Amino acid sequence: MKEALQKAVREALESGKAKATVILVEKDGELMPRLVTKPDDPAIDSLYSGDRRYPTASFVVMLQPVITGDIAVPVRECDRRMLFELSKRNQVDLERLVLLGTPCTQEVADACGCDHPFTADDIAIAPSLASPADPLPLPEALQSNDPAEKLAFWMGEFERCIKCMGCRNVCPMCFCNDCALDNLDLVSAESKPPEIPIFHLIRAVDMADRCVDCGMCEAICPAEIPLRQLYRQARQIVKDAFGYEPGVSEEKSPVEMLGEPTELAGMEEGFRTGQIPAE
Amino acid sequence: MAEAAEQAQEDVKIVAFLCNWCSYAGADLAGVSRMQYPPNVRDIRVMCTGTISPHMVLKTFQEGADGVLIAGCHIGDCHYGKGNYMTAKRFRVIKDLLASLGIDERRIRLEWVSAAEGAKYQETITSFTEQVRAAGKSPLAKAGKR
Ligand code: SF4
Ligand code: SF4
Ligand code: FES
Repeated sequence: MKEALQKAVREALESGKAKATVILVEKDGELMPRLVTKPDDPAIDSLYSGDRRYPTASFVVMLQPVITGDIAVPVRECDRRMLFELSKRNQVDLERLVLLGTPCTQEVADACGCDHPFTADDIAIAPSLASPADPLPLPEALQSNDPAEKLAFWMGEFERCIKCMGCRNVCPMCFCNDCALDNLDLVSAESKPPEIPIFHLIRAVDMADRCVDCGMCEAICPAEIPLRQLYRQARQIVKDAFGYEPGVSEEKSPVEMLGEPTELAGMEEGFRTGQIPAE
Repeated sequence: MAEAAEQAQEDVKIVAFLCNWCSYAGADLAGVSRMQYPPNVRDIRVMCTGTISPHMVLKTFQEGADGVLIAGCHIGDCHYGKGNYMTAKRFRVIKDLLASLGIDERRIRLEWVSAAEGAKYQETITSFTEQVRAAGKSPLAKAGKR
C-alpha cells in the first residue's frame, strides 16, 4: 500500500498533473503534513501510510490560496467528504485538487464504523462515493424515551470537559476565522471547565449541516465525551428537516442559505406545542 | 430543602426576541390598548428575527431563562424580504436539537405577530407563560455554572 501511494505521489508530480503534494510524515512519534514539490524529494520515502488519521483537509484549506497550480492529496474516504463539503463552502477549490484515494485497513474502518473505505483500486484517483453512515450503537441512556434521562446523560458527559479545545482544533469543518467559542459574550473566559451545555451545544448546532462524521473529535477528546453521537443527532435533524447530508449531498447546505425555492422547514405557522390559538 | 421550596415558588422567566417592525409594534399595541398579560416576559428588540443566531438562544437558556419566544413578521411580510425564512430554518434546527438532548419543547416557541395583532401578542404571552409554568423551572438554569 505504501509503495503504491508513493508511486502515485511521484507520478502526479512527474506528469505535471500536480504542482505539489501534501503527504503525511511521522517525526518523533507525531504526524505532520509535508509539502512536496519534487518527485525525488526524500520525504516521499518516509511517507506515512499507517492507521493514524490526520486532519489533512485543514492543511489544504490553508495551503491552496498560496499555491498556484494543482495539489495532489492522499485522502481517506472521510477526507474526501470533508474536502467536498469545504468546496461547497468556498474553502477549497476541488478542481485544483488531485485526490489519491488511500485505503483504510479493516481495523480503521471498523473503529470508524465506515462501511466503504477506499480500496487499493482507488489510489490512482479517488472516486466519489455516497456515504450512508451506519448508526452507532446508542448508549443505554439515549435509548430511553425519558427526556430527563437523556439530559442527565449529556450533562454528565459534558461535565467532564476540560476545555482543551481539541474537538474544535482537530475538526476540518471548523474553518471560521472568528469562532463563536472564542466569543467572550457567549463562552466566558474565566470558566474552566466551561459552562455547560452551551459550550458543546454551540458546536453541535453549527455542526448540524457541516459535520462529515469522520469521528476525529471524539477520538481526540481526552474526556472521552461521545461527541460523534452528539453531532450525529444534530446531523439527523438537518437530514430530517432539509434532506441535507454534509459531505454527501450535491447541493449547498440549505440551512444557512436562502436559495430557490425557499424552505421553511415546517415552520410556516410558527411553532407551539399544545393548542393552536384561535385568531 | 428550604431552598427547593423557594425554587418551586419562584415564577418562570421568559425571554422574548421581537422584531422591530412587526412583533415589537404588536407588543406596543397590546400595551397601549391596556391588554393584560403575565409579567414574566422580558422583551429584547432586534431589527429582524433573521439576526437571531442559534447561539443567542442557547445563551439565553444558559443564563437561566425558563422559556424563549421568538416573534417576527408573518412569512412574506419581513421588512428585509426573507429574514424570517432564515429564522424559521434555524428555529427548526435549534428546537429539534434541544428536544433531542431532552430539553422540554414547551420551553421554546416561534410566532408570527404583526404590528396590528396586539391581541395575538397578548394571547401568545399568556398561553406561553402557562405552558412554561407547566414545564417548570429550567434544568439548564445555571446548571452549568461551576
Ligand atoms: S466528526 Fe468531529 S471532527 Fe469530524 S467533521 Fe464532525 S465535528 Fe468535525
Ligand atoms: S475535546 Fe473534549 S475535553 Fe476538549 S474541549 Fe472538546 S469536548 Fe472538551
Ligand atoms: S423584519 Fe420582522 S422578521 Fe424580519
